[in-house]
Amino acid sequence: MNKLYLAGVAIVAAMLGFTYVAMDIKGGLNGDIVNMLAIAGAVVLVIATVFVVTKYVRQMQSDTATGDLAEENWDSIGEYKNPLPMGWAIIFLGLIVWAAWYFLAGYPVNAYSQIGEYNEDSAKVNAKFEEKYKNLSTEELHSMGESVFLVNCAPCHGLAADGMDGKAANLTKRLEAKSVVYVINHGSMNNIAVHTDDNGSKTTSAMPDRNGLFNSATNALITDAEIEKVATYVANGMKGDGADVFASTCSSCHGADGKGMDMVAPNIADFTPAFVSDILSHGKKGAIGTMPAFTNLNATQVKAVSTYITDISKGE
Amino acid sequence: MFHWLEKHPFFFAVGVFLVIAFAGLVEILPNFAQASQPVVGTKPYTLLEMAGREVYIKNSCNACHSQLIRPFKAETDRYGHYSLSGEYAYDRPFLWGSKRIGPDLHRVGDYRTTDWHENHMKDPAGVVPGSIMPAYAWMFTNLADINTAYADQLTNAEFFNVPYNKPVPMKDGTTLTVPMAKSVAEANAMALEEAKAITADMKDKDVQDMVAAGKIPEIVALIAYLNSLK
Repeated sequence: MNKLYLAGVAIVAAMLGFTYVAMDIKGGLNGDIVNMLAIAGAVVLVIATVFVVTKYVRQMQSDTATGDLAEENWDSIGEYKNPLPMGWAIIFLGLIVWAAWYFLAGYPVNAYSQIGEYNEDSAKVNAKFEEKYKNLSTEELHSMGESVFLVNCAPCHGLAADGMDGKAANLTKRLEAKSVVYVINHGSMNNIAVHTDDNGSKTTSAMPDRNGLFNSATNALITDAEIEKVATYVANGMKGDGADVFASTCSSCHGADGKGMDMVAPNIADFTPAFVSDILSHGKKGAIGTMPAFTNLNATQVKAVSTYITDISKGE
Repeated sequence: MFHWLEKHPFFFAVGVFLVIAFAGLVEILPNFAQASQPVVGTKPYTLLEMAGREVYIKNSCNACHSQLIRPFKAETDRYGHYSLSGEYAYDRPFLWGSKRIGPDLHRVGDYRTTDWHENHMKDPAGVVPGSIMPAYAWMFTNLADINTAYADQLTNAEFFNVPYNKPVPMKDGTTLTVPMAKSVAEANAMALEEAKAITADMKDKDVQDMVAAGKIPEIVALIAYLNSLK
């Protein structure tokens, strides 16, 4: 028995013994399959390593060089004419093929990018959204609108859409008196569509301020007292005192019932989905403050939240 | 030459370092320089916005709020387009933040307004039920430091070549010139003008009175800054 083999066996025994003791201190294998696999792997590694090392050290001790020497000789150092080992040759040729692939196709520029992944992900989610919510019933639109509202609108308009004590517009009714007064005093911006044709192109119209609002009953411009009266009337849902002022001043554009007229003026008696989606795409500035445009919502979400606001303004 | 290098390992190592460092410069720097160019639509901060940015830093808003929208669908749905490196070109220091105890603020100017911020900074839970953000009442009385903001602007313009008084391209194809004052007195007058535009949309009577009297509370500067985040 060679001393080398003895040393090998001793090292294997020492390492396995140490592992066994260490394992015992740590609480054993506990029947855990992962622990067992790890330990089995370690044992195999230790034995294989010691075996291979012993074999090659032994070979170095006993082997003598053989084969034909090449003609060339460098300072008395010669070289055998042995063929290239098969494994090396295969790896060498394989690397040439791999290099061509890496150069032409595999270079990371053509592989992964964060934005690429984002774009693919977005396209997938959008397609899924379109597919899933292609044909929505009114109830489904209402409930989708509610969740869109809670995320995007509730921070200002409140969870109950009541405007949180005047911090934003109260959406449970069409108009508040102060908003009516503000619009009469300042006129209204002109990006509310009063007509949408079949191609979807919109016609807009502007409302003049109080200097352009003529009361046909009194043959004079609208007065402060009349503004108060008609504002209360509109805010009450077109009921009560002030119907006469509305009829002689406002109805020529907004209609006798306040429901608006095609090509002329929007509905001020009720919210309509078209009106709400206009506000969403343009934002607005009114009696309370500024509302930004919400262009991040997709068409279905706009439709949903428009339906939802129209519904809750009617108390549904 | 190579023979000489082989005999002098120290200089050989220096040579290797130089070659690799050069390759690094050539490969990394151009991309980096390109990505950090301001994107179209990014403009330098006006004086009041700069003062608001300092209020933001002073109160450690960036400890709870990030300013970095990652390219994930869920995130862009909520906060808007993902952030680009060029958008931080005029941020010194950047305020990316590393924690989101509150929401991201990188595009808060797109979906919140002056009066909302006013209500919210006074009583966050009153606007957002369940919010754990504390109220920042002192911002309504403490005065913004316009002089330091002006010094910041000067530094940015002089040392970092931030284009004040020069046209910068905007998204709609037009250009916009952000003016910078020539003197401290002019700077204070400019900030006051900006503050008046902000307070026109605010409800707090005390704040309006202060601005009318020529004093600018921190909240006005902060709102100007938050509105500029788009």
